[in-house]
Amino acid sequence: MPSRRRTLLKVIILGDSGVGKTSLMNQYVNKKFSNQYKATIGADFLTKEVQFEDRLFTLQIWDTAGQERFQSLGVAFYRGADCCVLVYDVNSMKSFENLNNWREEFLIQASPSDPENFPFVLIGNKVDVDGGNSRVVSEKKAKAWCASKGNIPYFETSAKEGTNVEEAFQCIAKNALKSGEEEELYLPDTIDVGTSNQQRSTGCEC
Amino acid sequence: MATSDSSSSPSSSGTEFADPNPSTDPETNSERVQSQLESMNLSQPSEVSDGSHTEYSGGDDDDDVASANGNEGGVSNGGLVREGVAGTSGEEEMEVSLRVENPVEMEAGEEPPSPTSSGYDGERGSSGGATSTYKADDVSEDEIREANVDGDTASQHEAAWLPGKRHVDEDDASMSWRKRKKHFFILSNSGKPIYSRYGDEHKLAGFSATLQAIISFVENGGDRVNLVKAGKHQVVFLVKGPIYLVCISCTDETYEYLRGQLDLLYGQMILILTKSIDRCFEKNAKFDMTPLLGGTDAVFSSLVHSFSWNPATFLHAYTCLPLPYALRQATGTILQDVCASGVLFSLLMCRHKVVSLTGAQKASLHPDDLLLLSNFVMSSESFRTSESFSPICLPRYNAQAFLHAYVHFFDDDTYVILLTTRSDAFHHLKDCRVRLEDVLLKSNILSVVQRSIAEGGMRVEDVPIDRRRRSSTTNQGQDTAVPDVSVGTGGPFGLWHFMYRSIYLDQYISSEFSPPVTSHRQQKSLYRAYQKLYASMHVKGLGPHKTQYRRDENYTLLCWVTPDFELYAAFDPLADKAMAIKICNQVCQRVKDVENEVFLQGASPFSW
Repeated sequence: MPSRRRTLLKVIILGDSGVGKTSLMNQYVNKKFSNQYKATIGADFLTKEVQFEDRLFTLQIWDTAGQERFQSLGVAFYRGADCCVLVYDVNSMKSFENLNNWREEFLIQASPSDPENFPFVLIGNKVDVDGGNSRVVSEKKAKAWCASKGNIPYFETSAKEGTNVEEAFQCIAKNALKSGEEEELYLPDTIDVGTSNQQRSTGCEC
Repeated sequence: MATSDSSSSPSSSGTEFADPNPSTDPETNSERVQSQLESMNLSQPSEVSDGSHTEYSGGDDDDDVASANGNEGGVSNGGLVREGVAGTSGEEEMEVSLRVENPVEMEAGEEPPSPTSSGYDGERGSSGGATSTYKADDVSEDEIREANVDGDTASQHEAAWLPGKRHVDEDDASMSWRKRKKHFFILSNSGKPIYSRYGDEHKLAGFSATLQAIISFVENGGDRVNLVKAGKHQVVFLVKGPIYLVCISCTDETYEYLRGQLDLLYGQMILILTKSIDRCFEKNAKFDMTPLLGGTDAVFSSLVHSFSWNPATFLHAYTCLPLPYALRQATGTILQDVCASGVLFSLLMCRHKVVSLTGAQKASLHPDDLLLLSNFVMSSESFRTSESFSPICLPRYNAQAFLHAYVHFFDDDTYVILLTTRSDAFHHLKDCRVRLEDVLLKSNILSVVQRSIAEGGMRVEDVPIDRRRRSSTTNQGQDTAVPDVSVGTGGPFGLWHFMYRSIYLDQYISSEFSPPVTSHRQQKSLYRAYQKLYASMHVKGLGPHKTQYRRDENYTLLCWVTPDFELYAAFDPLADKAMAIKICNQVCQRVKDVENEVFLQGASPFSW
């Protein structure tokens, strides 16, 4: 626990299986890309230190599995998230249509204090595929969806080529940071003189 | 080969420690005991092949008394004991079944590579005799054996131990980090790191998230994970509301003690912040606790360090500085006056030992609170430089709220702590301290305290040798290797060390370390042996164990539990059993003779 205050931000990445969540994270954290698809099991965790406006903070990135069979892990994984990143594949309409489900699922499971203003970021990945010829979700359509959900920031990326990945995560960090600013009031009690409500046994059972 | 047995034997008199069972067949019983130990997670497979001295003592041969009150707990033989351990009721059952039936696999690749040599060389306390057989890594306990060979610090451990966190540059990708023998982690239930013994918390954010995922995954199934075994490693979990505590250890300590250590670690955190942190997490699951604990690394590392040298961490009792009765009484009287002026607790301490303490009417201080409080004060450098007034929470007294502590050091070792509920009491407490200091100086108490800490406490060499008994042993033609002299090899008849815990006083007295238990590593090894003994005597549902005699290649250990006291004694592994038992009786007599000097007597504020 160093004296200089650093902030830790928990970032959850959600989206259908195969849209490139793990690849985005790998590109961002390790600057690496692999064409091989390896399904994430449960969740994967990576950390990255980021400098933002003279402040140092750490992104704790929760890369979750897209397959439905892992969704039971929801509550446990989403608890206390500072930002949620939704990812879809611009070449797959289904992955775009599922964004609503992912967003709602997250809000239900994580139950943030202010769901209306919880920071999401949308990423449309795989813009490099086939020179953009196989693309089925237009930028306009994606932006319209973002606008309807309270102006979610939108980025189009290629995890393979590294396009826009850094920028997207900068924005993620910024939004996550904003959401964490207001609260954190730690107001402990002191024991009253008159009413000595002494507790004989607390939770400890040793 | 380690064999032992715990027997249910009468305790009605509590004054004489008799040989529990001299006539039992050692062969079959040691087998039985071994399987019993396995079911208790106490056996050490690496040592089984070594078929050296085995001794066994079973139930009591005093049938009259045994049939009268010996078997209240329904524990009369190994079979029943085994059943009891395997779990018939309550929480114990769940823990055991988790251990045995549902071992949760660790993530592939997460298990750190084991240190090269097999076994735990800290357990080989005396076999070689020479200290050169130990790799000198005394600088920091529980670290990788290969590293940090710092020979010149091996003997003077206390001086060599440095407070504060080491190896901050490490993370879970570092080989050195993975090889550390004992890790402690505190994290929030959203997976945000709060404390790690080694390495930088932020760099370990990914690891922290993994731990949360494991805990939450099991919780999601309506279950609770207590222990995961992975090779030589034990992963112990403790969930305290929104706070998760995890210990990863290959130190071969018992599950019960590791869990107790997590409990104390949690208590230390509560002492600094109170349980009102729970509300912060209720309001905001994202809550990041790390800034609130800023600057307290030394407090936690000092507590973790004390797990290996301070018996109070597993005896749940405190110890007093030996003092003439009249002096302690006089000190108590002054402290009582202070308490009468509206102070909740007044303590005069010397290092981690109590000189005297008093509490306001009906206020009682738990030994664990005392341990955490003195650790906090001793490990925070700033208390030494000036008189301080600081909010402090006593987790066992009231975990929800702060008290205010006035702390002042009279010298390097001796300090006063005055605890009050009033946040505006600083000047009053300062006046109290001035008056107290006045009396302490006039009556010369401070210098007596200094002399006492320099001289140390009880010594095994001081245990009187009963000449008559000694000569009778010689007549029986004992093995010449049995060290039956007191000079240079500890106390009489191979007595190396003892601890005596008074149940009613919540206090213990432990002998000073004597040769051959001199190095820190040997001392730590002996404490670990005691911890196992303690755990095996306090397993829930096992009934009233009264005596245990245990011999392996390192020690002969004797434990005797009565309603009044517990005695733990370590002897030379070749010590004669009958003599060891006699010596234990003499130790108890000796402690009773000096109890007014080694214990804080009188109206104990500790009576619950």
